[in-house]
Amino acid sequence: MSAINLQDVHKTYRGKVQALRGVSLDVHDGEIFGLLGPNGAGKSTLVKIMMTVIHATRASGTVLGLPIGNVEGLRQIGYLPEHHRFPQYLTGTQVLHFYASLSGVERSTRKKRANELLDRLGLRGWGKRKINTYSKGMLQRLGIAQALMNDPKLLILDEPTDGVDPVGRREIRDLLSELKANGHAIFLNSHLLSELEMVCDRVAIMVKGKVTMQGTIESLTSESKRIEIEIDCTPPEWTREDFDTVEGQLLTKFGHDIESIQSLIDRLRRDQCTIRSIKPMRESLEDLFMRAVDYIDSPGSHESGT
Amino acid sequence: MRLFKAMSIDAYRQLSAARLFWLTLGLSGLVVILYGSIGFNDQGVTMLFGVFDVESEYITEGSMWARGLYVGIYSVLVTIWLAWVATILALISTCSIFPEFVSEGSIELSLSKPITRIRLFMMKYLVSMLFVMLQVSIFCLGIFLCVGLRLGEWNWMIFVAIPIVSLFYSYLFAVTVLVGMMTKSGIAALLVTGVFWMTLFSVSVSEGALTTIVTGEEVQIERYQESIDKQQKQLEEIVSKSPEDFRIEKREARIEKMKVDNKDSIEFLDKIRPWQTRISWMLTLLPKTSQTIGLLDRWLSSDDGFDLAAIMRGDMSELEEMEDFEPTSHQALHRESNRRLQDEYDGRSLWYVIGTSIIFEGLVLGLASLIFCRRDF
Repeated sequence: MSAINLQDVHKTYRGKVQALRGVSLDVHDGEIFGLLGPNGAGKSTLVKIMMTVIHATRASGTVLGLPIGNVEGLRQIGYLPEHHRFPQYLTGTQVLHFYASLSGVERSTRKKRANELLDRLGLRGWGKRKINTYSKGMLQRLGIAQALMNDPKLLILDEPTDGVDPVGRREIRDLLSELKANGHAIFLNSHLLSELEMVCDRVAIMVKGKVTMQGTIESLTSESKRIEIEIDCTPPEWTREDFDTVEGQLLTKFGHDIESIQSLIDRLRRDQCTIRSIKPMRESLEDLFMRAVDYIDSPGSHESGT
Repeated sequence: MRLFKAMSIDAYRQLSAARLFWLTLGLSGLVVILYGSIGFNDQGVTMLFGVFDVESEYITEGSMWARGLYVGIYSVLVTIWLAWVATILALISTCSIFPEFVSEGSIELSLSKPITRIRLFMMKYLVSMLFVMLQVSIFCLGIFLCVGLRLGEWNWMIFVAIPIVSLFYSYLFAVTVLVGMMTKSGIAALLVTGVFWMTLFSVSVSEGALTTIVTGEEVQIERYQESIDKQQKQLEEIVSKSPEDFRIEKREARIEKMKVDNKDSIEFLDKIRPWQTRISWMLTLLPKTSQTIGLLDRWLSSDDGFDLAAIMRGDMSELEEMEDFEPTSHQALHRESNRRLQDEYDGRSLWYVIGTSIIFEGLVLGLASLIFCRRDF
């Protein structure tokens, strides 16, 4: 079953600015899904539409089986907005209690979960302190705790590691993996591609209000899968036919794994070529992202120049 | 109920974190202490717990005057302290509640909870009224204890000030909320509310002044008419007795002068009445802040009909009632005008004073909630 299934989501702001131009997305139960895109791509607008903060101009689909925009569905969703601002007059524990009570969480449950989450997110001992004494990273962790107070089936996090130090990021990644293992669906919206690459099962790349790519990182980068062999001699003539590219002393074979090119390695050895390195290569998420952005911005693309 | 409780607690925390809340409460406490320091003994009035004595023949312990004075001071305190000073402080304290509520980073957290926007808006509005309700409640409790201990009269009607002042404040706060929603600026909300309040005050004062003039003129015209009729009758009697009577000419001249004066008054009334009608209609459509607070006087006045609070506000009609004037004298006209004005104000129903004000408030809040419900944050 899909945790999120969006079809043809459009948003046009006053002044005719088209923020979303027919976005369709599918996030499965129990997976971590990453939404990538440059600034102004419409990622936050899409998230806010799911959270009923923004009204879609046109949309269909479901979130946790309920029509998009259904307020009751929010009971099972945890949300961390980007640049969230908690009331400065509250303590950490009060923040958790207040927002959990808005979600309809019982007092006894709130108390138990608040303590658990403060511990889990490294905020033990900070619960009774006013949040104006918190660092940015601590506020971010408190925000994640807030999003988890109602034990949501779906967790939507907008830039969750923003301002968090490397240790904290690792803790958050571990937490997300743990939540995923417990069957929670997680929707991540982030600029940090390396972070997403480490935790996401599937990603979508959004550029100028449209999803241009969607799938597992494996499937999206399969075209770029290749073996690069660096040799220490002039490439023999036959390599120009058997390898896809030969650039100086760098030989590249696309779409193959290391086992399937053993015969080529043997042949190079027979021809007295010293092999300096053999690297299985794959496009990184960053490369994929850049490719998607470049494609949209290319002069021939219909999507350029919105 | 859980939602209301959570938002009320949050509102209290927000208010109690503001210094102005405690400052207002401290000042209210000071006012109550000063009020409580006024006492009565056989010689007269004591102030500041007996530091000063003011001898008086009438205002002595247990007298009607002492009771009137004490309750009167309370009424004046409500009018001046709660309806002006505390309200201004409350508006300053609460003007940024809605702009902060809808600010980026904050509103997303609230809207992402399973609460409809209209419910969230109305809850926020109601709990934002907590500032005034708390302040007025504590103030009234203090006054209640003072009156009880000083006069031995446990007057529960004192607590009527809580809904009245809260209602009065809500008229203004609705405007603050609307402007806050539109501009997302607490300062803009405060300024516009201030201008709106002054406009209401001006309209109310203008209506009061025009109604006073119109009532005075009406009484005047009635008196002229009565006098003309009386003089005319006397003239006819004189003429029937002796057509050559030397008084006839003078009497005719007097009647003629009165007719001219009466005509002038009628013309003046015809000119001014349309303005009074217009401004009365305008006031009907607007919230009646002064009249809402005035309800307290209406409900607090003693059974013996003696309203010392009115006297303290400068309305001397109560004292004038005690004197005898020549029916046609200026004082008598003035007294009659005041009596009719008082009847007019007392005759204004709760529906007129509160109902129409609530309708205005509802429209303003409706517009603000519409903006809140439709806006993309």
